[in-house]
Amino acid sequence: MAEPLTWGRRYLMCPPEHFGVLYEINPWMHREVQVDPDEARAEWDGLVATLRDAGAEIDLLEPVEGLPDLVFTANAGVVNGTQFVPARFRHPERQAEVPHDVAWFRSHGFTVDELPDGVHHEGAGDALPFRDVLLSGYRFRSDASSHVALSRLTGAAVRSIELVDARMYHLDLTFCPLDDERAIVAPTGWDAYGRRVVEALVREPLVLEPDEALSFCANSVVVGRTIVMPACPRRVGRQLEAWGFDVVVVPVAEFLKAGGGCRCLTLALDVKLGPLA
Amino acid sequence: MPSELVEVEGHIIDSLILAKVLDVIVEAGADYRMVDVEIGKTNVDPSRARLEVSCDDEETLTNLLEQLSIHGANRVTTADARLETCTIDGVLPAGFYSTTNLPTQVRLGGHWTDVENPEMDCALVVLADGRIRTEPMHRVHLGDQVVVGLDGVRVTAPERPRGANPFEFMNSEVSSEKPKELVVAQVAERMRRARADGRRILAVCGPAVIHTGAGPAIARLVAAGWVDVLFAGNGFATHDIESNVMGTSLGVLLREGRPTEHGHANHLRVINEVRRHGSIASAVRDGLVTGGVMYECVTHGVPFVLGGSVRDDGPLPDVHTNVVEAADAMRAQLPGVGVALMLATTLHAIATGNLLPAGVETFCVDINQAVVTKLADRGSHQALGIVTDVGLFARDLCDQLCSPG
Repeated sequence: MAEPLTWGRRYLMCPPEHFGVLYEINPWMHREVQVDPDEARAEWDGLVATLRDAGAEIDLLEPVEGLPDLVFTANAGVVNGTQFVPARFRHPERQAEVPHDVAWFRSHGFTVDELPDGVHHEGAGDALPFRDVLLSGYRFRSDASSHVALSRLTGAAVRSIELVDARMYHLDLTFCPLDDERAIVAPTGWDAYGRRVVEALVREPLVLEPDEALSFCANSVVVGRTIVMPACPRRVGRQLEAWGFDVVVVPVAEFLKAGGGCRCLTLALDVKLGPLA
Repeated sequence: MPSELVEVEGHIIDSLILAKVLDVIVEAGADYRMVDVEIGKTNVDPSRARLEVSCDDEETLTNLLEQLSIHGANRVTTADARLETCTIDGVLPAGFYSTTNLPTQVRLGGHWTDVENPEMDCALVVLADGRIRTEPMHRVHLGDQVVVGLDGVRVTAPERPRGANPFEFMNSEVSSEKPKELVVAQVAERMRRARADGRRILAVCGPAVIHTGAGPAIARLVAAGWVDVLFAGNGFATHDIESNVMGTSLGVLLREGRPTEHGHANHLRVINEVRRHGSIASAVRDGLVTGGVMYECVTHGVPFVLGGSVRDDGPLPDVHTNVVEAADAMRAQLPGVGVALMLATTLHAIATGNLLPAGVETFCVDINQAVVTKLADRGSHQALGIVTDVGLFARDLCDQLCSPG
């Protein structure tokens, strides 16, 4: 019998006060596409309510003018118990977010350990725990070289996965741990070696077809047995329900305009990395 | 062949990163050598691998390195060599890079440059035009730019092709139990090949060459053009001339093998006479010396360097009594040498071995196995030892290479 995830009951989120598509750093972003701020706020409120209903606790990060992507807290860094390893963003547009993230974690009792200069790593967006290892993506945003540093800082055994589809530029668009045996996986986002690594790790994968993967359905938030999804292709929903999960679809269309779904809008604060107890 | 050291670290086994890196190298048509691998003990411990990647041209290598860096395999030596200026003639900066006799490259301004004349136990001096030479410490001057530390220096380990025959890899094999005729034939073949390739042949001779009666054979090899340069000491040249002038070597009649009366002074009388002529060349020209190895060297224009020692009698006027100058004179004769024959000499063999680049095929012939071992222990790993009587060896070699008559 699969055991539920040991994490995913407490999240950091940032209200979309200053959210918008102000620059283009992934294939989904187009500056000519307008974000409806009211709609965005309503969607974000809907996500918060749904997560709370599922039993999650939500902490809030103060929004900052001029930092539209601060709303995607998943990229703030990697959480490990009371340790926080802030991201080193590849794009200068997002680098100014880091001091705000660090300030929040410091004021909430976390120890902040930084990655060395010269490597890029975009936080939980490219680092998801599964069983006793940490899967970490690289190529578009994070560097493979950052993984050994991350492992040294956190003690986690890292599995490096090369991302090959620019539309799925973060690992959390291709991988969603469901419990200790299952995960939603989008192998078309990985190279052959990455596929073999995940195959060896996940006993029961829910393998997405390419078009299903591009619906961002892997960018979901799992709270116990509840899966909060930005979209849910019918086949995927049937399989999840057959496994006994409650599927809740929360529309986040405004955020998809910036290339982010439900997972991107949240950062789990109750992750503990390293060997299983 | 351009090459670069790269390192990849992390959970590279379980993440299949190492497998991927190796595949990427092979797919690029490049080659790799695993220099060092440390596997983590638990699945949390990171592993580390160092690879030397080589391919046919710089451009392919540059592209490949860029690709490898995506997977976290980064160049290890990104630093240029550090240089320090000599502040005193004949004194190196502390921390100078001490050379090996292996092919060596130095990285300056992001580019690797070959060292012109590999020699062990020297320093690397960068010349004003960017060339890099090894220099022994007594030859550096105030203002010379010398490489310090290990950064930005790499050596190429000698290739060791596998083969049943010790001649296929020059690695200090001592062949005391090999059929000598075959060994001699193979040395002759190497000499033929060297001559065909335009590489020079160096003979380093000890006095035992004359004592054992091998003098005439070596003289024939010189006369037939199989020796391009000769290194020896006072003893070899003295006994060679003694045997020509007086028929003895250290007073022993070479034809009969018995000592002559008062023969122990023969060599002194010979040295004395050559000194009267001023040089070996003059003694030859004036008709005092009419045959032998030194005679053939003079008449065929084969350069020779005679290095002196504290126990020398005389010495002959050509002997370098300053050993530092002797070594410099030997160095000056080394460019182009491709084969070295060390014949029954311990001190001159080791002195020459110290100066030779590892790429020179070196054959060390001695009745005493310890000589060969000593040579290898001092870093001349390319030497192939042949344990046999030098007299027999030289005659067989001469028979192989020189037509009868």
